[in-house]
Amino acid sequence: MASRSSALARPPAFRGVGRSILLTLPMALWSLLMFTPSFQHASGDHYIGAAAVILFMTGLFFLMMRTGETYRWRRIFFVALGFLFPVGFIAALVAERGTMSIPISRMVSGDTPFCFMVTPSIILPAAFARTVIFPGSILPTASNPHSIAIMIGLWFALTLVMGKAWCSYACFFGGIEEGFAALPKRRRLHRFITRFGAQLRLIPWAILVFVVLVSAAIFEPVYCMWLCPFKAVTEFPAVRNVETAIQMVVFIALFVGLVVVLPYLTKKRTQCGFFCPFGAFQSLFNKINLFEIRINREKCVDCGLCQTSCPTVALSKDSIREGKTLLNCMKCGACVDACKKDAAVWHLKGTPVAAKPERARLLFLYGTWALATMFGGSVLANGVHTLIGFLPLK
Amino acid sequence: MLGLATGPVCLATCGPVVVPWMLVQPQGLRGHSRQLFLFLAARLAGYLVFACAVWLVGSAIPHALPQAWTGRSWLMGAVQVLLAGALVVYAAGWSHRRCVVAKTTGNLVQIGEAPVVKRSGALALGFLTGINLCPPFLVAGVRAAQLAHLSAALWFFFCFFAGTAVWFFPFLSLGFLKRTPAIVTVARMVAVLLACWYGFSGISILIERTFHG
Repeated sequence: MASRSSALARPPAFRGVGRSILLTLPMALWSLLMFTPSFQHASGDHYIGAAAVILFMTGLFFLMMRTGETYRWRRIFFVALGFLFPVGFIAALVAERGTMSIPISRMVSGDTPFCFMVTPSIILPAAFARTVIFPGSILPTASNPHSIAIMIGLWFALTLVMGKAWCSYACFFGGIEEGFAALPKRRRLHRFITRFGAQLRLIPWAILVFVVLVSAAIFEPVYCMWLCPFKAVTEFPAVRNVETAIQMVVFIALFVGLVVVLPYLTKKRTQCGFFCPFGAFQSLFNKINLFEIRINREKCVDCGLCQTSCPTVALSKDSIREGKTLLNCMKCGACVDACKKDAAVWHLKGTPVAAKPERARLLFLYGTWALATMFGGSVLANGVHTLIGFLPLK
Repeated sequence: MLGLATGPVCLATCGPVVVPWMLVQPQGLRGHSRQLFLFLAARLAGYLVFACAVWLVGSAIPHALPQAWTGRSWLMGAVQVLLAGALVVYAAGWSHRRCVVAKTTGNLVQIGEAPVVKRSGALALGFLTGINLCPPFLVAGVRAAQLAHLSAALWFFFCFFAGTAVWFFPFLSLGFLKRTPAIVTVARMVAVLLACWYGFSGISILIERTFHG
């Protein structure tokens, strides 16, 4: 009886309410950015959407401060981002073009919105042939503000602060599979993933090399044309012949397999961990990023909870023994929250491990959450505004 | 000059074949130099065979290069299918012999295991890339077909080869890259993906030629 009551008892709060509010205050002020004219058009619905996002982001940050947990609250934001991005994006496409498919005329005129996923593919052709192999414009135009220069600049700024944490706080695709991975209580295929984890996490690197080499050879963004699972929920080349029909089948199969079915079965982010070449590219920036997660060997009892909880298999027995995560760690905080011995800790490079882990977490979260509010917040506000438009209020 | 000028395009076209092949080789500049030499020698042989063929066709049908030698032709489709096969056998290291060895010893084939270095791999891949039709190659082919003598066509293609070969030397730097099992595994995975790509592309071309002429 005593053990049952202790199991049901709420864990003590990590931090008091007053102190949590104080720590949240800078983030609340920063999130008012959502009201600035560059983020909003002058319409009532937009302001309602922005206000909802401010409350949402500030509330989640407060809960991170109050509970000391990161993963649970970040996941709520990230799943919302993943599901609201297609809502706003598809609604905008349908309103403008009447279809989700990209007309040839738009590709020819260079009006396709740039997607950061293409970044690794365009480097070699740009370096050797001074050609950008994407049907978008380099500078923003009236019809396409999401130009190549703007998107790459934004991505680079965010990457310098976040490193691979981009994949957990900024990417508007990963949230969909994280949502499906959160649904089941039981994880299946666990043995398969444990057995072949080392090989599975190399697949994104192979796809990255393949995409970069073939894109340079045929002067086309191969990932966009053939391999992107998220084409199924964003925009795609119009189906006009057998080739585009095959492309469409590939997009849908990859989306259903990697973003819906496998995350549901395994409770892992299978597309991010075992497929996404941009994620592999992003891993390189973990080398220069200041923040990381370390395992304090003095406290670690080798229970393997951190390894099991990691959504992208970024921990192995060897890496735990060395007190490190692998290069593909996206700093979601799942292992830190799962560790019952407080052995998995946030760490600022150049300082002793576990010296001041909460300070490292705060420093990381202030930068990352501020950028997540700026970048993801505008996406969320757009999605909320779109949903409000569907309500029969007027 | 044509070879030097169009070298980056040749590099981009042959890069997908050379990079995984070099990465599955053991670390070291000497071994890489040997493999690159064999690859380039076989590529030169492919160039010269192609030069003979286009000159003979060009002399038989003056001022016209038949469609069989231009882009998306039967030849291109067949070469790409063969390239897919060669990549699977040599770069990915999947051969019947390995399976037999694995079966008799009762072990699984280890993906990251270093492959047996085979000269035939570099020769096969080099020859097939040598007759693979890429834009600069077609330009050179048109010029060779218009020359008066076969020896002139061969010399022209030899010079073209020498110009493009210079661009391949940076691939030797892959020899310095440390060979961990992870790198070898990734290189093999890339080879399989490329084989799928070439296979799909080649079969598409062959089907297109069969049904649409």
